[in-house]
Amino acid sequence: MVDVLDCKGLMCPMPVVQLAKKIKAMEIGQELELVSDDVGSKEDIPAWCQRTGNQLIGTEESGKNYTYRIKKLK
Amino acid sequence: MDETKKVAIVVSECSFDKGVMAMMIANTAASMGMEVSIFFTFFGLNLLKKGARPKLPGMYRLFTGTFEKKMSKVGIPQFGDQMDMAKEQGVNIYACSTSMELMGVKEEDITEGAKIIGAAGFLNIAANTDMQYFIG
Repeated sequence: MVDVLDCKGLMCPMPVVQLAKKIKAMEIGQELELVSDDVGSKEDIPAWCQRTGNQLIGTEESGKNYTYRIKKLK
Repeated sequence: MDETKKVAIVVSECSFDKGVMAMMIANTAASMGMEVSIFFTFFGLNLLKKGARPKLPGMYRLFTGTFEKKMSKVGIPQFGDQMDMAKEQGVNIYACSTSMELMGVKEEDITEGAKIIGAAGFLNIAANTDMQYFIG
């Protein structure tokens, strides 16, 4: 069961701030899905993953929404 | 992953835009695992006062409420809440000792968790940072 972090309606930097908080509460190896309709998230989420050493497994675009699958590595 | 990036921010003004900008940069950096230190000096000190509710500058002052509502709509917390969030994320908050003296601000007037430090003390911290920002 993968947790879904719904960030629809939130603008940068709120999605990454919430992501950081969520990941902190997770175990290493766990995955989550973050959903955002913020255009900024296209750059923000990959950047956050790169900076923090967590893995962006995949990105899906559907209409205005972006779904990011992220794995906690650290 | 590279080693932890460190950020130093100096804030010398107290308008809404400057305050919120400092908080947004600090919170974003902290959420990305960076170590952030903010030095509030001169008018920036007003942002550290307990219950501070900064206003947009000059004539725009009247539009502060409208702007706050816009921020609310897109999930961006108000200045005070962003300050709390920054503390929660481990952002180091510093109040300039000299400015406090010159502007008659006492330690009990300042938000909890802020440390009082002088310019040299802060520069010592800033000297070890990777990115430095001046908001003023």
